[in-house]
Amino acid sequence: MTNNLQLNQTALASKTPVKKKKRKIASLDRKKARAGWFFVLPFVIGFIAVYLPIIFDSIKYSFCTIKIVSGEGFQTTFVGWQNYNEALFVDPNFVKTLITGLKELAFDVPAILLFSLFMAVMLNEKMAGRAIFRAIFFIPVILSTGIMESIDAQNIIEDMMSESDGIADGSGQSTATEIVSAIDIERLFANMSVGTELVTYVTTAINNIYDIVNRSGVQMLIFLAGLQSISPAIYESCQIDGATKWETFWKITFPMISPMILVNAIYTVIDSFTTDSNSVMKFIANKYTQANGQEISSAMSWMYFLIVILIIAAVAAIFSAYVFYQRKD
Amino acid sequence: MNAQPTAPKITKESKNKIRVEFERTPLKERLKAKFINMAFLGDVIWYIFRLCLLIGIAYIVLFPFYSKISGSFMGKDDFVDVTVMLIPKNFSLDIYKFIIIENSYFTAFGNTLLLSVSTALIQTFICSVIAYGLAKFKFKGAKYVFAAVILTMVVPHQTLQLSMFMKFRFFDIFGITGLLSGHATVGNIEAINNILSKINIFPAEATSDMSTILKGIINDGAINLNNSYWPLIILSLTGIAFKNGLYIFMLRQFYRGVPDELEESAYMDGSGTFRTFLQIILPLSVPMMITVFLFAFSWQWTDDFYTTLFFTTNKTLLMPDVVAIPESLETTYAGASLYYSAIRNTCGLMIIFPLVIMYVFLQRYLVQGIERSGLTAD
Repeated sequence: MTNNLQLNQTALASKTPVKKKKRKIASLDRKKARAGWFFVLPFVIGFIAVYLPIIFDSIKYSFCTIKIVSGEGFQTTFVGWQNYNEALFVDPNFVKTLITGLKELAFDVPAILLFSLFMAVMLNEKMAGRAIFRAIFFIPVILSTGIMESIDAQNIIEDMMSESDGIADGSGQSTATEIVSAIDIERLFANMSVGTELVTYVTTAINNIYDIVNRSGVQMLIFLAGLQSISPAIYESCQIDGATKWETFWKITFPMISPMILVNAIYTVIDSFTTDSNSVMKFIANKYTQANGQEISSAMSWMYFLIVILIIAAVAAIFSAYVFYQRKD
Repeated sequence: MNAQPTAPKITKESKNKIRVEFERTPLKERLKAKFINMAFLGDVIWYIFRLCLLIGIAYIVLFPFYSKISGSFMGKDDFVDVTVMLIPKNFSLDIYKFIIIENSYFTAFGNTLLLSVSTALIQTFICSVIAYGLAKFKFKGAKYVFAAVILTMVVPHQTLQLSMFMKFRFFDIFGITGLLSGHATVGNIEAINNILSKINIFPAEATSDMSTILKGIINDGAINLNNSYWPLIILSLTGIAFKNGLYIFMLRQFYRGVPDELEESAYMDGSGTFRTFLQIILPLSVPMMITVFLFAFSWQWTDDFYTTLFFTTNKTLLMPDVVAIPESLETTYAGASLYYSAIRNTCGLMIIFPLVIMYVFLQRYLVQGIERSGLTAD
């Protein structure tokens, strides 16, 4: 609106004898566009000068072998699909790890999404000690990353210290102690006619709760922000009309937060496949340190990346069909 | 309820005041109506359920830290003693002492502090600039720039580790240093030396050793930036460092929530775009920027990907180098593996200790910053 107004003004101004001036006065839109470019300039420079070459190099290296020669930098020899061939068909473990990794992804994403949405709804309610609980729940976002993650991976001391009678699953992730035994849960579900897949899903989710809690911090924050942006007037009118909390959640909160679910789904996919504890990433990082493994690890990670891009596209397509956008005007 | 309600009695007390007397429902009835119904029962059950769940999950989050802390104070013998669970019997500070002395904790602390503070400050500022440009200005190609931001977020850094290492091992933008290498004369070298000594603000080994750099330029036609802070600084300056896409996204959503009228009134008063940004918008976004700073700082602090990628020699000690078993604590007795695990945990605790302190003071901004952002997905 205002832009148009000012545009008209400048248009009017240009009709009056400003023409004498040789320098053309840029319209406000043009000026703003220029300012916009100026603001994003650092990123554009970095992207073109550093990031794009890095990406292209990475793709190039995945088709090459590299030798560092003192005096001339490094030499690359083009070898075609050899690295990919080696990763897919020669290496016995890559395809297996890839499939496990994708299975993990299929497990993690719904679990993290559900958990973080549930916790965000809970932390959004008014209650005593809310600030303390929030502070505790966001601890993992800050503290359980990077070095701590790799330290936790080799941490066996918690098995000894926690008195749980559960069996260590030996996966090395989470605290490796089972909080509930599968039998208890199965008994619980025995009378409800749900499939065994669901039961195992629930038990694994509960046993990996530490992992899930650790990785749903940012998602919780995003959901909380989304919940905060829902107008309380809607809830009030619902309450007056006699809706229960359950109905309010499904008819109001859920549709209003659905854009956030899309954002979080994509973020979770990205996050869980780039995290260091991801088994494919671990495999690739391990390959990187081996002799001559660097180019192959490049090839592997590009294949993995392509697969995940496809998954992200699929997730985005599926979710965006159900996303509800509130019309603002 | 069965009794017919008697009509309220109205007496006039004074000119402007009346008194209405009516029969109140007895207290018992009122309490009954309030507390004995399904809605209240549901509320109570929900309250208890919620409290249990929250406490349970808080326990899950906090327990590893507790077990690490208690393990760090245990003496060697406690790890073979089955009666010792979570409270150390032979209280000792050996682990802390030897980590500080033998793993040179404070050197690593200083180096990492310099690195983390500088990169986090740069990232916070640069990301807000970029995000502001993306949020508030309509220009051709803005869509593509934003897509590029998302791309940097999506490509995992492991994919790029080899080429990133190579890029900074032989750093050469648009062949500038390559040109220099051909014409390296004594005068040229001195001139470059002067320039480089001026930009040498970081006491990393590689950059302070000018002759190495010059040799590199002359021989390889490129600078070896690895083993210095420069790779991370360059990545931060251009907004493509670790998770910067996320920061840009968060800040962009925040700036989109800032009403345009604010800037327009600033423009009306004759303020330029950049002045408006610095004096009006930046102060507004302080809570959000603290959030971003907190993320950037702590993720750089605990980072062991970039630091191990770019720092291949042990000349610059950083936090990942602290995680090791001190020599004087090496043992061969039965509980060694547990003991080593406890030592590693203690290293971890000492690494995150400054972050804990920072978190205690800044955590309210973390939630506030995001809550106020009105983060929406459109």
